[in-house]
Amino acid sequence: MKDIIIPVQRQKKELRILLICFACSFLLNIAAIIIYKTSWAEIITQIGYVIIIALALYVLIGIIRLIVYLISRFFKKRK
Amino acid sequence: MSTDKNTKQVDLELRQFIKNLGYMAGGTALLTTMPWLQSFTTGKLSEIKNEKARVAILGTGSRGQYHILNLLRIPHAEIVALCDNYPPNLKTASDLCPKAKTYTDYRKMLESKDIDGVIICTPLNWHAPMVLDSLAAGKHTFCEKSMALTMDECKAIYEAYLHTDRVLYFGMQRLFDEKYIKGLSMIHSGLIGDIVGIRCHWFRNNDWRRPVPSPELERKINWRLYWESSGGLTTELATHQLEVSNWAMKRIPESVVGMGDIVFWKDGREVYDSISLTYHYRNGVKTTYESLISNKFNGLGEQVLGHKGTMELEKGQYFFEDVAPAPGILQLINNVEKRVFSTVPIAGPSWVPETASKQKPHYVIEGMVHATSGGSMVGAENDGSDNLISAFCQAVITGEKAKDIVEECYSSTMLCLLGNQAMKEQRKVDFPDEYKIPYLKF
Repeated sequence: MKDIIIPVQRQKKELRILLICFACSFLLNIAAIIIYKTSWAEIITQIGYVIIIALALYVLIGIIRLIVYLISRFFKKRK
Repeated sequence: MSTDKNTKQVDLELRQFIKNLGYMAGGTALLTTMPWLQSFTTGKLSEIKNEKARVAILGTGSRGQYHILNLLRIPHAEIVALCDNYPPNLKTASDLCPKAKTYTDYRKMLESKDIDGVIICTPLNWHAPMVLDSLAAGKHTFCEKSMALTMDECKAIYEAYLHTDRVLYFGMQRLFDEKYIKGLSMIHSGLIGDIVGIRCHWFRNNDWRRPVPSPELERKINWRLYWESSGGLTTELATHQLEVSNWAMKRIPESVVGMGDIVFWKDGREVYDSISLTYHYRNGVKTTYESLISNKFNGLGEQVLGHKGTMELEKGQYFFEDVAPAPGILQLINNVEKRVFSTVPIAGPSWVPETASKQKPHYVIEGMVHATSGGSMVGAENDGSDNLISAFCQAVITGEKAKDIVEECYSSTMLCLLGNQAMKEQRKVDFPDEYKIPYLKF
């Protein structure tokens, strides 16, 4: 079985995307607190939902990236 | 064996709870509002540690036997006599406490010097003569609810109570039920806001009959079904819940309207099997009472409705009107989800009916709820009856008169009898001035 090697550059890129997803999710929580006038304690108490949303966003972006990759590869082959 | 242990535990827990109230901030005020509890503490129990109340059971039917079973678990009680004019019941009771002397004539029994207290569990029409004779014979007396069959008899008992130095208790067990005590004190502390209405109900699905060995015993055994010996669903069931209603309101309703019918059990009985009553308090609050015995879906319960919340006393739980909102992030997700997946209405109702909201209950006593189905014709477990009878036996030893129990029973019985009058005469009935007693606040 062949080892899969993920280059450091790629790892950094994935971590950066995940961090962006978390930041977006975190901001979404703050926006929800402001819109629905709920307690600011929810920044901490709802962190579980924030992480889940961040992971969901990451997966969604992963799917979009995969589709973009497959389409671009398809066009590259045709050339 | 475990049931014995649990019952004893509950008894002591309630005593400890009441004792603790005395030490709490506001606890003294609370005991002032529930004065019948003042003598029922662990401290008072230890004062009578080595003494026993010698009691007689007058009426050894199902309720009498229920009390016998409770009395056998109470260390400061001794059953010394049993009395009944129905031999099968007397024999069953005698088997439960073989040392007790048996009688068939209660007047003979009252002559005995060996009896300190009498516990009366007979049909309603016998309550007044037996209570009056028992007090006249110098016996401390406990009588099952309701107080009596007529208003005049109630007044006669009340007058006798005022002039006797003997202890008089009535079977108002909710006064000794911890979940009611706590629940009512929470209501009075303003937990659910101002009381704006009370809904009480008691539903069963059985014919309320007992098997009769021969036809001439029908009225003797099924006494609950005939007006000559019973007030029907009001005096047998509603009396407890009307007492709770007054307890919550701290006043007495001034009038009642209602309807009663025999809807299902058309078997020769006289009392209604379906009743609906509305009691009106002077401040406009109404207690609605509903009872029928051909559908048990709703069981029994008392809902005290406040402008901030609702207390369900029998279930020992309460709900707030304003529920804390869901976290903002969840509200956002729900709204996004609704916009994405909800159908686009083409035409719909311009008015949406207000449906009952689903709310999370809070418990009066965390982890200790003894809600009963209300189906038992004898008595439920842990409904305060054991505490009440224990308090009576303690009072028999100390001679300390019960505070407010007679008055509470008087007022709830009067309301039952007025309810029956309203149903029979199909009119609004006011509380008559001649039956008002100083205790009552309208």
